[in-house]
Amino acid sequence: MEKQTFRLPLGVTSTIDVARAMRELNALNDFMTAAKVRTPGTPLQLPKLTRQLDELARLNDYNLTDENHRKELTARLNTVMGKSPVLHISFASEPSVKALERILSWLRENIHAQALLTVGLQPGIAAGCVLRTPNLLFDMSLRSYLKQQEPYVVQLIEEAANRVVKKEVAQATNPAPQPAKQAEQPKVPAA
Amino acid sequence: MNTGGLILVILMLVVATLAFLWVAFQLKSAQGSDQQRKSAVDTIEQAAREDVEHIFNDEFREELRNRGRLHFEKIIGENAMFLQQDLRETTSQLNDYMRSEITRTLQDEFKKYEQSITDAKQLALESIEKTRAVVEQQREVLLQQLAHQAEGEKTRIVARFEEEMARIVNHYVLRAIGNQIDLTDQLDYILAELENNKSAIIEDIKRGT
Repeated sequence: MEKQTFRLPLGVTSTIDVARAMRELNALNDFMTAAKVRTPGTPLQLPKLTRQLDELARLNDYNLTDENHRKELTARLNTVMGKSPVLHISFASEPSVKALERILSWLRENIHAQALLTVGLQPGIAAGCVLRTPNLLFDMSLRSYLKQQEPYVVQLIEEAANRVVKKEVAQATNPAPQPAKQAEQPKVPAA
Repeated sequence: MNTGGLILVILMLVVATLAFLWVAFQLKSAQGSDQQRKSAVDTIEQAAREDVEHIFNDEFREELRNRGRLHFEKIIGENAMFLQQDLRETTSQLNDYMRSEITRTLQDEFKKYEQSITDAKQLALESIEKTRAVVEQQREVLLQQLAHQAEGEKTRIVARFEEEMARIVNHYVLRAIGNQIDLTDQLDYILAELENNKSAIIEDIKRGT
């Protein structure tokens, strides 16, 4: 059975998930091997598969009860484990599953079909994310945006400072007029 | 020779003979009176001696001695006066000479001293001028350095102020809104940024793998 493109479900996000799926697949292989040597007619209870492995098999049309399919899936996972690009993405706070899935979906559609993500936390970035590829760092955070806007902030500060200085200079050159003298009291004619 | 001449010659011969005879007679009479004369001279000498003794007695001699003393004193006094006058004139001339010599020497020395002072003054002025030029140059250099340092310090302070101010503003904004923005609200921005960096990410992944 030849698969054109091996697809990873959105539930498999990182190498940890891939490794977990491989371990689970190995355990299933062990169970199937043990089941072969059992007495026929003995009731078998398949181990409960995780949603990730189940989605992985279903998405790639693998039958996990078939030994060949399991072997092929194991080989595919090994390839993914060894050759798939791993991207590291950091957020200011723990991302929601939905948001992470959207990002991962975009990455697998636009960057690489087997792209894996390692999620980290950087509270200092405030918002946005920081994506690290094998050789590059893409800072798409609010911190970076504010950093880029620093000249504008400085310009605003300078303008405000200039206004204050001009105001002080104007006050120094043209001192405020002294309060008007008390209005002359109307002379009251002598009785 | 006529007769007159002859007579005249004869007369002259006769006169000469008569004169010779008269002289001989006179000489003979003179020899006889020498002895008388000698005695008379002796007498006269004796009388003269007596007169001398009589005239030049002790009183007269004392008188002469006194006069001589007075005359001598007068001469001595006059000479002393002349000597004193000469000495005074000599002293005056010597004083004038010494004064002129001393004045000339002093003037020469003063001229040398004045020349030395002028040279020293010129040297001092040149030295002061050089020192002033060096000080002026140093002042210019210091002014430039100070201006440069002040400008650098000003630039550094302004840069630091801008950096710190921007950092403070950023920090304030991050603190203020950091926990207030939901990631779901940021997805559009994040996806847009990813889209902007898509080619770079793909390129880096291709190189990385």
